[in-house]
Formats: sequence, C-alpha cells, structure tokens
Amino acid sequence: MSRNAISRLGDNPSDDICPVCKSNRYLNPSLQFLINPECYHKMCSTCVDRIFTSGPASCPVPRCGKTLRKRGFHKAFFADLKIEREVDVRKRVGAVFNRRQDEFETLLDWNNYLEEVEGLVFDIVEGDAKTRAQAEEKLKAYKEANSGEIEMNTRLGLEEGELEKRREKAEREAARQRRLAALKEEEEEKADLLKNRKEVLDRLATEDGDANAIAMQAQKVILKKSSARRNLADTQMETNKSAMDSGLTIRGLKKKEAPVVEKPYDPFGGVDLTPSRYVLQESYDSEWLGNAKRDMRHMAGGYSLQEYYARTMFEAFSGLGVFIEDEVADRGQPAPPAVGTTPAVGAIASGEEPQSKPKPQYKMESDDVF
Amino acid sequence: MSEDERYRTSTQYRLWSFTPSSLYALRKTTNLNAANRVRAAVQRLREAQAVSSTEASEAENGRSTSTLPEGEVDCLTVEEELKLVAFYCRQTIQLGDHLKVPTDVKATAIQYIKRFYITNSLMTYHPTDILKTALFFATKTENHYFRLTKFADAIGKTKPEDVLASEFLLTQGLRFTFDVRHPFRALEGAVMEMQALAHAGIPVLPGGAVVEDRPPNMDRRVKDAHGKAREYLKTSALLTDVYFHFTPSQIMLASLTIADPELTKWYITNKFPKNNNNTAAADMCEKVLGTVQKCADMLRTVEPTSEPSALERKELQALAKKLKKCRNPEKIDLVGLQRAKREGEGEDEKIIKKRKMEREQSAKEGEDLFGPEIKRS
Repeated sequence: MSRNAISRLGDNPSDDICPVCKSNRYLNPSLQFLINPECYHKMCSTCVDRIFTSGPASCPVPRCGKTLRKRGFHKAFFADLKIEREVDVRKRVGAVFNRRQDEFETLLDWNNYLEEVEGLVFDIVEGDAKTRAQAEEKLKAYKEANSGEIEMNTRLGLEEGELEKRREKAEREAARQRRLAALKEEEEEKADLLKNRKEVLDRLATEDGDANAIAMQAQKVILKKSSARRNLADTQMETNKSAMDSGLTIRGLKKKEAPVVEKPYDPFGGVDLTPSRYVLQESYDSEWLGNAKRDMRHMAGGYSLQEYYARTMFEAFSGLGVFIEDEVADRGQPAPPAVGTTPAVGAIASGEEPQSKPKPQYKMESDDVF
Repeated sequence: MSEDERYRTSTQYRLWSFTPSSLYALRKTTNLNAANRVRAAVQRLREAQAVSSTEASEAENGRSTSTLPEGEVDCLTVEEELKLVAFYCRQTIQLGDHLKVPTDVKATAIQYIKRFYITNSLMTYHPTDILKTALFFATKTENHYFRLTKFADAIGKTKPEDVLASEFLLTQGLRFTFDVRHPFRALEGAVMEMQALAHAGIPVLPGGAVVEDRPPNMDRRVKDAHGKAREYLKTSALLTDVYFHFTPSQIMLASLTIADPELTKWYITNKFPKNNNNTAAADMCEKVLGTVQKCADMLRTVEPTSEPSALERKELQALAKKLKKCRNPEKIDLVGLQRAKREGEGEDEKIIKKRKMEREQSAKEGEDLFGPEIKRS
C-alpha cells in the first residue's frame, strides 16, 4: 500500500496521460491539464479547446455529463484535486460566512459559529448528493438573508487588507530610508576623515611645532566630530520614529500598563505587633545572662538574646489586661446535674454517656477512653 | 494586635480559664457523674458475682464476694477530691525533684493533673497513675528529653506500660491542648525591665518619658523581690487554682506584690499613662491592681514553705483509704484495659502483618537473579 502511495506521487502514468484523448506527455511535452470546478474532471488543454470552444458542452468523462463552459476551466493549484475542491468550497463558504469575532458577545458564541460553518463545509466537501444539496441550500438561504451584512463584512475585510498592505509598504519604505541614511552617513564620515587627514598633513608641512601635538589634536577633533554626528543621528531616529507612530494606527493591540511596583513582603499580613506596654531595649543587664552574652558557644550558633528579651517582655505583659472573671463568666456553666433521675441512671447502666453535660459549645470530655 | 489580644488566642485562655463559680460547678458535675458511675459499676459487679457464685458449688460460697464491701458505696465529695488532688500535686513536685527535672516541667505536669481532674474524677482514675504520665508528658512539652525506660526506672516500681497506659486518656482529658503559659519567664522579663529602670533612664511606656521618681534603693529591692516571687511561683502558684482564674502576667505581678507591694504598685501604675483627662487608663490601672491583689490573696493561701500539718496528714490518710473503697472497679487496671483494647484491634493488625510479609516475600523473589520460581500448574 505504501508502495502504491509513493508511486502515485512519483510517476503515476495517469499524471501524464489525458484521460479524454489519451495523449501522452512523452509525445507532447507542453501537455497541460485543466479542470473545471463544476465536476473537477481533469483534461488536457487541447481537449478543452477542442470540445468547449464552440460553446457549452457536457463533460466528456463517462457518467459525468455536467454542462461545462470553457470559461470555467483553469489550472489546478493542488496536485490532489480533492484538496483543490475543498479549498474552492472553503473560499465560497468563507465569502458568505464572513462574520468577525468582535461581532460576537462571548468566545463561546464565536466558537459555536465557527463549528457550524465547519460543519457546513464538511457537508459540502464530503457529504453524499443529498446532504450536499441540503448544505448548498442552507448556504444560499443564508446568503440571501444576510446579504447586507455579508457585503459590509467583505468591505471591512478588504479595508483591513488594504491597511495591512499600506502598513507593510510604509515599513518597507522606512527600512529603505534608514538604509540610505546609513550609507550617506558612512560616506560623509569617510570624507570627513580624509579631509582631516589632509588638513593635518598640511599643518605639519606649513606650521612649525611639535608634530606629535598636532597629530594628537587632530585625532581629538575627529573623535569629537564623529560623536557629534552619532548624537545627531540618534535624535533624528527618535523624531522619525515618533513621526511614524503618529502616521500609523495598529488596531487590536492591547494597552500597555506600567507594572505595579511590588510592596515589600509582610509576613504578618498587616498585623501590628509593636509592644504597647513596654519599650524593648537593645540589651538588658541580667545576672545569669551575662555569661551567655559573651560566650562564643552561645552566640556562634546564631542564638539571639534579643529574641529572648522580646519573648520575656512579651510574656510579662501578655494578658495583663485580660480579666478572666469578667470575660469568661458566661462560659463553662454546666447544665444542672441530673442526679438520681431515671434516664441518667439508665444511660449509665447501659454504658452510655450521662446526659448531664455542660452546654454543647463548651462540651467537656468525660468520655470513656477504654 | 495588642499583647492581650495575643493572649486571648491561647488555648489556656480559650479552654482553660474559668471563673471560680463555673470551675466549682464543673467539678461538682464531674464528681456526681463519677459517683453515679462507680455505684452502677459496683452494682454490675455484684450481680455478676452473684450469678457466678450460684453457679459454683455452695461450698465455695462467700469467698469471692469478700473483695467487695457490702452496702452503699461511700463516694468522695468535691472538697475531698480537691484535697487529694492538692496532695498529689505536692507528690508530683517531690517526684520531679527526685527525677531532677526543671521547674517548668514540674509546673506543666501539675497543670496537666489539675486540668485533667476538672473533667475526670479521682474515683475513676487514680492520681498515682495519672501523675506519672503527666510528668512524662511535661518532659516532652517542655523540651526536657527523658527516655521512657529511664523515666520508669528512675521512678521505681514502674514499668513503661504503666506510664503509657493512660497516655491517650490524659491527652483527651487535656482536650488535646498541651500548651501551658507559665509566669516564670514573665517574671524574668519584669525583673529585667525593673533593673533597667533602676540603672538607666529608659522609658516605661512607648512614647513615654523617662520616669525620675524611683523608689529608694530600687536595685537591691528588685533583686530581693525576684527571689521571693520566684518561690511563690514555684509552689503557691502551682498548688492553688490561680492558673485557671488569672493570666500569667497577673500571677507574676501578684507574686511580686507579695514580695514587695510598694515596688510592684509603683511599677504597675507607671505602666498606665497618667493623664488628667485619660480616665480609661486610670480605671484600667485600678482594675489591674485589684485583680493582682485578688490573685495575691489566693497565692497566700498556700505559703511556699508550708507543709501539710500532722492533722491534715491524718485526714489525707483517711481520704486515701476512703478513695480505695470507692474506686470504680472497672477502671482500676488501666494497663489491662489498654492491652484489652489493643488486642481488640489486633485482628486487623494480624492481617496487615500477613500482607506485609507476603509483599516482602514477593519483593525478595523479584530481586533474585533468575526471578521467582516458576510455578507449575
């Protein structure tokens, strides 16, 4: 099978023989095949001339019988006529279904529309006679119903293409200008250099003075000139660019937003942990910490006495203003114990939890582990 | 977020802070429930024995029933339980001294015991079992590593299983919260700052001025007060209920108040801004002073050097005897219960083990050079 495929691509005899008149490329090297998009049957240009010059005639291929005109014949772009046909169909359908994405409200709608169009194309290309006819009918109906919109979209598409062309042209022109400018500049620089050198030689010849000094001065002059020229060129470039920007509008580009400067990371998420009841000192005097402060063995490991200070001071004042008697008065009030009442005893006897529990929100475990 | 708000996030505040009345009510409920259960359990045991004794021959009658006292069980009251808990807390301190663990380990262990016996009764679980586990837990939570076997050996007459038997029981009783906020480090902080105040001019409050009028001879007094306050924190604070009713900061200041009232009052009043128009701060200051005073009164009920008197000791002995009679007979053998529970789950473990063995076996065969043996069917 694979061998067949290869041979068909390479030297398939049907590629060289006209199916109508059986003339051969071997005998007629200028043999050219034409097709008509009515039925996509291939025949040589001689046959087309012979059969269709005198007016429309039916296709000479057996069992085809479609009426063809000479005007409809053209050279196939693709070697595979199936593809040629599909591309033609797509062109035709695309000219009718030429809606644009920005006409749709959501991406989903747009995709659904594309799928529908694709289905239609498939029906025309691959379907049998009936489905094809149906699809053609649909296409026609749609074309009639939406002729106005189709026309507008076509115009828009053309305009867009025009714009694109203009833009490309402008870009090409700009590139050409740049190239010319660069060339010109280079020439100028060369001329300058020559002139300078000549001047130096003249001065060396006419003036008396240190030859080295004169040469050095000349060098400096050259450097200054070239740098000045470069600066000038840069500014020109800038102005050119801005001019180009104002002249062209590229649609569909998203606005550029300056990146937001990132704030420094706050591990506590904005919680203020500054002490309110004491001022933490850098160092405190303490009898038993005196040694630790100086001891290399403590400090080498990265142990920070400041951490200890912060913790002790925090603990000294953490909860100073928490009055448990006031704040938790309403919690932990147990329900009245059920003593000696029958349900409680029953619960105990059956090994269940006694019912006399505190409030559910403050449930205490007198649960049995074992 | 102020220091107080941060304290309110702790479990000590959220779960283990009570007003005296609610704490008493909780203990009362626990006691009543436990007593009911003890009576029910004894009743069940008696019935079982009656059945077994009638089935056995008449000749052996009366031998097995002798282990159970006749008549209604005489259960402990809440007050009696509290006395016994206090006694066992002292025992814990002694045991801690014997094992040479640091103060905070002992303190944590005692808090565990106290917290546990709010919702559990001595009649259900005997404190001698619980206190070992509590102390063992405390070595872990306070980062003072003690190997279990060594721990059991050092206590004497204890096996590692005894310590571990009530492990989950205690954890559950603690409501899975192991954090205990102690006033020890707070005391160091306060003393450190007071010494700094005595020596150098540092501001007492953020944005406040340096306080000039200091109590006379402040350095010396701070040092003395430090030692005395520490004694109170090491004993009185542990043996009373202050941890349930006050915050560590208040307990610390209360111990300092006992040690040097004048100095502490000066310190506290300086911690609240003195403005003529700032009545809120003045009110707060008054309230803090009042609360600290209350805490100090509670601390004074148990002096650091105090030991149970001969009379009290006699009473405790009687209570211990009473406890022996009214213990829940179903919960005496914690180790056995633990083992029974484990073996109840043993079925599944066996299957798991078998599967593991099979897996290992197949893995070993897979590693063999020529693969596993070919099975002929």
